[in-house]
Amino acid sequence: MGRESILRDRVLGCFKKLNGFVPGATNAIGIFAVTARLVRVASVFLLATVVILAANAQQGQAQGTALPLPYEAGPENTLGDQSDSDIWRAIRQGAEGLPSSSEVTNGVLINAEGVWWSELRRPEGPLIWYGAVGLSAILSAVLLFFVIRGRLRIEGGLSGRSIPRFSLAQRVVHWVMAGLFLLLGVTGLLLLFGRPFLIPLIGKTAFGIFATASMQAHNLFGPLFAVSLVALFFTFVRGNLPSLSDLGWVVRGGGMFGAHASAGRYNAGEKAWFWTATLAGIALSVSGIIMSFPNTLGTYDLLHRAELLHAIAAFIFIGFGIGHIYLGTIGTEGTIDGMVTGDVDENWARTHHDLWLKDMQAKDSKADA
Amino acid sequence: MSMIELLEGPLWKVSVGVFVVFGVWRLFVIVTTGRSPAKAKPVGSPGRGAVRAIFGHFLPRRAFLGQGRVWFVTIAGYAFHLGLFALLFFAAPHVAFIRDHILGVEWPALPRWGFIVAAQFAFAGLIALWVRRFVDPVVRLISRPDDHIAAGLTFFVMLTGCMALGEQSVTLRAIHLGFVEAWLIYFPFSSLMHTFTWPLSRGFTGALAGRRGTRM
Repeated sequence: MGRESILRDRVLGCFKKLNGFVPGATNAIGIFAVTARLVRVASVFLLATVVILAANAQQGQAQGTALPLPYEAGPENTLGDQSDSDIWRAIRQGAEGLPSSSEVTNGVLINAEGVWWSELRRPEGPLIWYGAVGLSAILSAVLLFFVIRGRLRIEGGLSGRSIPRFSLAQRVVHWVMAGLFLLLGVTGLLLLFGRPFLIPLIGKTAFGIFATASMQAHNLFGPLFAVSLVALFFTFVRGNLPSLSDLGWVVRGGGMFGAHASAGRYNAGEKAWFWTATLAGIALSVSGIIMSFPNTLGTYDLLHRAELLHAIAAFIFIGFGIGHIYLGTIGTEGTIDGMVTGDVDENWARTHHDLWLKDMQAKDSKADA
Repeated sequence: MSMIELLEGPLWKVSVGVFVVFGVWRLFVIVTTGRSPAKAKPVGSPGRGAVRAIFGHFLPRRAFLGQGRVWFVTIAGYAFHLGLFALLFFAAPHVAFIRDHILGVEWPALPRWGFIVAAQFAFAGLIALWVRRFVDPVVRLISRPDDHIAAGLTFFVMLTGCMALGEQSVTLRAIHLGFVEAWLIYFPFSSLMHTFTWPLSRGFTGALAGRRGTRM
């Protein structure tokens, strides 16, 4: 005998007892039978509903619905034996689950690996701070040098005789690289320093426009910089290898404080700039390529390291670049002529590159002979 | 009326009007001016000379093939002009603009990577050729302020266009459109007209040479 039959007999017995006290109670037996059928049907529906809901719940989990909490429900008005802070701490420390968003990598809702980069990169962080201080220090040093030393003059003044120094290819490559340097430098510094320095001045809306434009231009000109760097290396590497005469040039302070410093085609300072630009340029190009394809890396850690390398290489490149621009223009008389016309004055060559001048004159004499 | 409405409305119509009217007028003057008739007996075919000059000058002459600077100008020239052509007619925002404001029809646009590649070529070519105007003593001597203004305007049109590529800012679009309209107004009165006059000048010089039985 089933449990249902026992239950029915007990309830029928109750109704029979009731019949003695309540007139018409036996009619209720028929009502009970109908009710019992209804309950049975309802039970089947209820069971089916539960099964369907359970199946849906499992399917929902597979699609990314949050997993049930791994603990029993606690007292009323609590979330169980773990508090909000426990849950968020677990997530913060990299607890994994089934994500419903494609933005969540490997089921980790908050990737704590990038916190060091956020700390470093934030507007008040060390990258911005040291970068700004470093570039300001270089600008100040250049200005101070100009005030104290003034323009480096050609010994004996202009001779009126010119010596060919840079080929057309060298000048074109140099100025293309210079243009790209300025474009990338300005847009890059705007992106890096914009939030702490520009937003207080021009507001967020205007900065947003500047930042969008800068990012597009920076990404567009980056690949051209990499190609120009290769061209720059091959057009200028000849003469930029270190030599013994460089030591004498360094010891005499490059002739910037009075004493004459002999040098070949390029002096030690120019060679240092060439190799710094080459190495920093390679670092900028490689890290820039990595940053251009952030979703293909599979990890943000490499991306953040590339961003850090990009920023440091840019500071070095821009820092040296400021010195190079100063010495190539207002800092030294007659230097820019070589990069514009291709020729330099003979006395300029004797003042700054006397060993190279001797070589050139010896070649001319041999050719004449 | 906002600035962008002004730039997309009346100023756009004015600049296009100036471009079309004065461009057509200049071509008309060039074609109809003519020159005094040659009295010497023709030795060769002027028509053949014209065709040979128009198509033959797409590549450097054989005598100059060994010179690096010739290849530099050729490669940079093609990079700039083909890149600019692709940007002008196949960049997605331009295709949409031509459909909405000019022709009412559209054609397939470049994908984003195609736009980037075309822009790289166009910028590389333009910057290299513009730099050459400053540092090559011969080209510097024959360059006029007009050449630099034309190159500068073209550069800024391209630069502002690429800066507005994100299509997130009306201001950036307005700046780009402003430069485009300045470029269109300057176009008929400048060396930019070589866009339309190159077959005429090549053909005319080639026809003269052909008539004399020589090649150019």
